[in-house]
Amino acid sequence: MALENYVYLKELAKKGLRLDERGYLDRREVNIKTGIINHADGSASISLGNTRVIAGVKVLPGVPYPDKPDEGSLVVNFEASDLASNYPVADKILYSVEVGRVTDRAIRESKMIDMKKLAIEPGVKSLFVYIDLYAINNDGNLLDAANLAAIAALLTTKYKVEGSETELALPIDRDKIPFSSTFVKIENKIFFDPNQLEENVSDARLTVGVSNAVNSIQKGGDGFFTLEEVDFCVEKAFLMKEKTKALVKDLLQS
Amino acid sequence: MYEERFDKRRFDELRKIEAETGVVPNAAGSARFKIGNTEAIAAVYGPEEVKPRHLEHADKATIVCKYDMMPFSVPDRAKPGIDRRDMEISEVITSALNRAIFVEDLPKSMISVYVYVTQADAGTRCASLTAASMACADAGLPMRDLVAAVAVGKVGDSIVLDLTKEEEDYEGGTTDIPIAFLQSKGEIVLLQLDGNISREDLKKAIELGRKGAQEIYEIEKNALKRRFL
Repeated sequence: MALENYVYLKELAKKGLRLDERGYLDRREVNIKTGIINHADGSASISLGNTRVIAGVKVLPGVPYPDKPDEGSLVVNFEASDLASNYPVADKILYSVEVGRVTDRAIRESKMIDMKKLAIEPGVKSLFVYIDLYAINNDGNLLDAANLAAIAALLTTKYKVEGSETELALPIDRDKIPFSSTFVKIENKIFFDPNQLEENVSDARLTVGVSNAVNSIQKGGDGFFTLEEVDFCVEKAFLMKEKTKALVKDLLQS
Repeated sequence: MYEERFDKRRFDELRKIEAETGVVPNAAGSARFKIGNTEAIAAVYGPEEVKPRHLEHADKATIVCKYDMMPFSVPDRAKPGIDRRDMEISEVITSALNRAIFVEDLPKSMISVYVYVTQADAGTRCASLTAASMACADAGLPMRDLVAAVAVGKVGDSIVLDLTKEEEDYEGGTTDIPIAFLQSKGEIVLLQLDGNISREDLKKAIELGRKGAQEIYEIEKNALKRRFL
């Protein structure tokens, strides 16, 4: 792990400043491209500053789980790909699992996809929604990039069921879409959308996924948050959610 | 008889190509190569310390290559991770790069090359190798030449350049020959074949491959120039 500008970043943070001159709530530039993979039912490429994640969605028939015989299923897989071989934690697999699971949780718990509508024949056949996410370049905050990539890919998904030529969109409730906001704490100051340098010097990280309500939270890093800080982050997460939503405005209308 | 190609190309015509470098900003070098509906992204790290140490060579660099297909790159969902096919392709790409790079100039060091296929429509190993060689050049590694790789083959009775998946599955029988050149010297650094082909046809196919590789070679050079000029 490179610890470039370790002391300098901490000194800046004490004054509430960032190396790339952003304000504490400023997000890096976001770019969204959809429909990039011909074999996927839905796909998106997201860049968040230099961080880049691509997502591919596939909707395939499968056997429903015994405890939910009349529902479809969601499978989220995040691959901390070797293209970006500079992960903040020595154990890359752990990181890969965490991003996948946190992304999964927000989408699952928000109930944005009506899983009941994905059942075909109770107990025998239902549709599985596979979301595969790949980090192409890691410059910090893969969590938010992965969340946005997954949402953009889901919104543009068009799939066909066996024996039919009609293209279907996923049953998505547009009011329940969860957007993730990640904050780091450096020298007791909170910053939104950390880049990799900031992640490396941060004491703790908090990822909050919100739709109408809070759907997922993940605290990372060895440091701590106080109740006030958590509340502050959740408040800002609701604020940032509206801004993130504005980024995918076009996709929401389609 | 295979008289007209499924996608109406001439028999000696490549699919549409896109090439760019620098797509993975945090890597030492990177490239994206797209030919038709086949696309590969490559990133290179190093030269750096060899890990694990037992892979180290006292007289040359160690090149470690990993080829993987993304789950959504194929019509069904490919299981994430490396299977036997991925391992074999990683191996042939490594061999080709070992000739392309002056490995003897970088003893006791490791160069890691990672290639991911985002979309597959035949010719993924060729697209991957081409992308990998561009990424190596982008990383500034000392190289003999860029590698230009393309699949040639016999579909029905016709010798064709740059096969699609549809052609590979042609019911009249297909011979698939992925081939890679260090173009300026005509060195063949990757060659595989599966199918059924006569000696004369094989020679014709390889010659056709050399011609296709020349076009790819020019596109690779232009992509690298665009990055620096």
